[in-house]
Amino acid sequence: MTTATATTLDAEAIGRISDHLGEPDWLREHRASWWLRAEETPPPTGLEEEWRRTDLAALPRDGALLAEAPQLEIDLPAGAAEAGVVVADLRTAVREHPDLVRRYLGTAAGQASHAHFWALAQAAWTGGVFCHVPRGVTVDGTVVVRTRLDRADATYLPVTLVIAEEGAALTLLEEVSSPDGGAGWFGGIVEVIAGQEARVRYANLQQLGDGAWNIGSQRVVVGQDANVTTLNAEIGSKVTKVGLDVQMTGKGGTSRLLGLLAAGDDQHIDINSDQDLHASYTTSDLLYLSALYDRARAAFYGVTKVRAGSRQTSSYQECRNLLLSPTAGAEPIPVLEIETNDILRCGHGATAGAIDPTQLFYAQSRGMDAEAAERMIVRGFFEQVVGQIHDETIRERVLAALARRIGFAEEQAA
Amino acid sequence: MALPNPTSPNPALGQIPDSYRYGWSDPEQPRTTFEKGISAEIVAEISRIKGEPDWMTKLRLKAYRHFEARPMPTWGADLAPIDFQDIYYYVTGTDKAAQSWDDVPDYIRRTYDKLGIPEAEKKYLAGVGGQYDSEVIYHNIREDLEKQGVIFLGTDEALKKYPEIFREHFGTVIPANDNKLAALNTAVWSGGSFIYVPKGVHVELPLQAYFRINTENMGQFERTLIIADEGSSVHYVEGCTAPTYSTASLHSAVVEIIVKKGARVRYTTIQNWSHNVYNLVTKRAVAHEDAVMEWVDGNLGSKVTMKYPSIYLLGERAHGEVLSIAFAGDDQHQDAGGKIIHAAPNTTSLITSKSISKGTGRTSYRGLVKVYPGCEKSKSTVRCDALILDEEARSDTYPYMEIDEEDVTIGHEATVSKVGSEQLFYLMSRGLSEAEASAMIVNGFIEPIVKELPMEYAVEMNRLIQLQMEGAVG
Repeated sequence: MTTATATTLDAEAIGRISDHLGEPDWLREHRASWWLRAEETPPPTGLEEEWRRTDLAALPRDGALLAEAPQLEIDLPAGAAEAGVVVADLRTAVREHPDLVRRYLGTAAGQASHAHFWALAQAAWTGGVFCHVPRGVTVDGTVVVRTRLDRADATYLPVTLVIAEEGAALTLLEEVSSPDGGAGWFGGIVEVIAGQEARVRYANLQQLGDGAWNIGSQRVVVGQDANVTTLNAEIGSKVTKVGLDVQMTGKGGTSRLLGLLAAGDDQHIDINSDQDLHASYTTSDLLYLSALYDRARAAFYGVTKVRAGSRQTSSYQECRNLLLSPTAGAEPIPVLEIETNDILRCGHGATAGAIDPTQLFYAQSRGMDAEAAERMIVRGFFEQVVGQIHDETIRERVLAALARRIGFAEEQAA
Repeated sequence: MALPNPTSPNPALGQIPDSYRYGWSDPEQPRTTFEKGISAEIVAEISRIKGEPDWMTKLRLKAYRHFEARPMPTWGADLAPIDFQDIYYYVTGTDKAAQSWDDVPDYIRRTYDKLGIPEAEKKYLAGVGGQYDSEVIYHNIREDLEKQGVIFLGTDEALKKYPEIFREHFGTVIPANDNKLAALNTAVWSGGSFIYVPKGVHVELPLQAYFRINTENMGQFERTLIIADEGSSVHYVEGCTAPTYSTASLHSAVVEIIVKKGARVRYTTIQNWSHNVYNLVTKRAVAHEDAVMEWVDGNLGSKVTMKYPSIYLLGERAHGEVLSIAFAGDDQHQDAGGKIIHAAPNTTSLITSKSISKGTGRTSYRGLVKVYPGCEKSKSTVRCDALILDEEARSDTYPYMEIDEEDVTIGHEATVSKVGSEQLFYLMSRGLSEAEASAMIVNGFIEPIVKELPMEYAVEMNRLIQLQMEGAVG
């Protein structure tokens, strides 16, 4: 059951979270120091390049903070627990695996554009996911963690921590949903840490209610020869402003960032990404696809940074927008900052446009009505990402969620 | 000659109060030298020396107030070292002649020699002695143009000779308050070209500032205004590929172009200022129904360049193109690109950018494609390629897009690469030196733009790239 305390966030309120959850001193101090950081790092003013396209003036800051986070629904494949894999609510993990949590919680400042919100969640989290896969352990199957908020109007700032130690392998789907009809603030932050040669697939399926403000940031740290794929499926919310922060810190690491955005009504979805290639022989590719209906708007501002001294890196950024209504809009802005000449491959592409009328005409000439033809073309447009989702559970869940917006019936798993 | 009647005065003028504070009516002797720095008095004095009409004096003063009020841009290149009070804003002919050939930096003199620039032209380019005897050629071309009714004058002269058409168009494309540097230019402008091409007239030869080289066409704050009336066409060429030496550290030009229904304008710039110059330029064109506007923009010189030639596609089926090429060597930052605003249906545009950074040089492509609601069937393609030649060199791409219309096709693509070692190996195995091979690859890379240049520029550009690659140029 969910209870909420109506408070403005201040140092005292942060202390009360620790009292309420009966937390150890180290965590109390952790929250207090992050609260200081949140105060020292003011919220975005809207003049920052990353925040020019999303106005925070109407962010519902006065909602009650959820003191009792909802119970997580966790599907853990058989045998994982025995192999030492921990998947738990963050509060539970603090009690049961304090050393592990202490080692990984809040070790970095997070993405510069979201520094304020990152610090705020580190200070004021009341729930979240803790997932730890020990060295050399492969989780067979898909870990699924669902957060179903039962209130639309609350403030919830959860922290998700996903750690795959050296040589570990994990596929995890995190789903969040909330009811329609209230202005809530969902400020979830995610940190995925892949150790040397680890393989992580992290998917985030966002189905928040139609009044929700989703202001999040995902930090991905890719170690030497590690391989990380993230997928964000943004379906719900009124306003989504998510930052992706990929740190290629180990030689030979690979990351792939996939995104599917299906938005309608007056939805506003704004993604900004930082792909930071610090290390040599790293690869980082990004592919975000948006289908925009009604008066929906999608903004994408992505920066690929190849640092001086990083040799033989490879990166590509691609952002495509399908405009399905005369009043939909898109602002895809892929930025490159390249500080060395020793690059293997580097580039970006961005497009925006309507469905090619010859495609529609062809489909209709084969007997489809205009709506069915449009559905099929949108589904085909998304295939560029969907085809890269190899995990069946994730593919089915994501397609089912997309169906709500783009209208096609659920598909058989291929 | 038939000139259109000004139907409405410049709307910007209406906002100027009649009793402005800086009236200047002392009948004193004109100053021959100006002190460094800028003030309302200096702005008014420039206008007075030029004997300008009252409206221009007022516009200059209004622009000066905008310049004072606006903050410096915080994005793009580092502009912090510019000290606006340490700059001469008006230099008379006698001041210019004081410059000596001995003051011209060695690297520029060496480049002239290697390019084989004639002696008289060298001195002109170096800013030593403002005369280059092209009068004979110029005279013939001028007669030919006059027969067709084409006006091609220095901007100051045009204000005196054609006050109506001048006032009708001046500042309508780039208003005085557009940005801080455009405001500065409007306040202190001097020199530049004025071109009017009457209805249906096609100017066959490219018009080059070269032809009237004894006027101040390469001024520090030049102001160019081109009007292509309905169904006409003209190609204007500004600058030159050879290095242009200047003692002034700030160059801030404004170029306004009006392409009327069915007309076609191409504006080619090759900028090769010496490496002490901040080159901050505002260039904008409006293209009406069925008009075609093309910017060919080359940036080789200067310390810092910030320049984004823009095209506002205002009429149906208007087409705009920006071809941009940038070369940044040691300590140079070329922040260039282009802007296209689709403000009418069925408009099309193409931006092609090729940039090369070498040594510690930095090139940035910065561009915008904006499509307003209702501009259906608009199409735009942006293509940016960057070549990074050295490990310390840097390249950035900032392509902004704002699409508010569904029925459009908008695409952007960029690549960044280095000179492939296989390519080099192959060419060197055929007997070329490494520098020759690199130059050949770089020349191939920029070829799509060089082939759009007039022949003599293209030849000089290729030689210049060759020199740059050999490290023979500063």
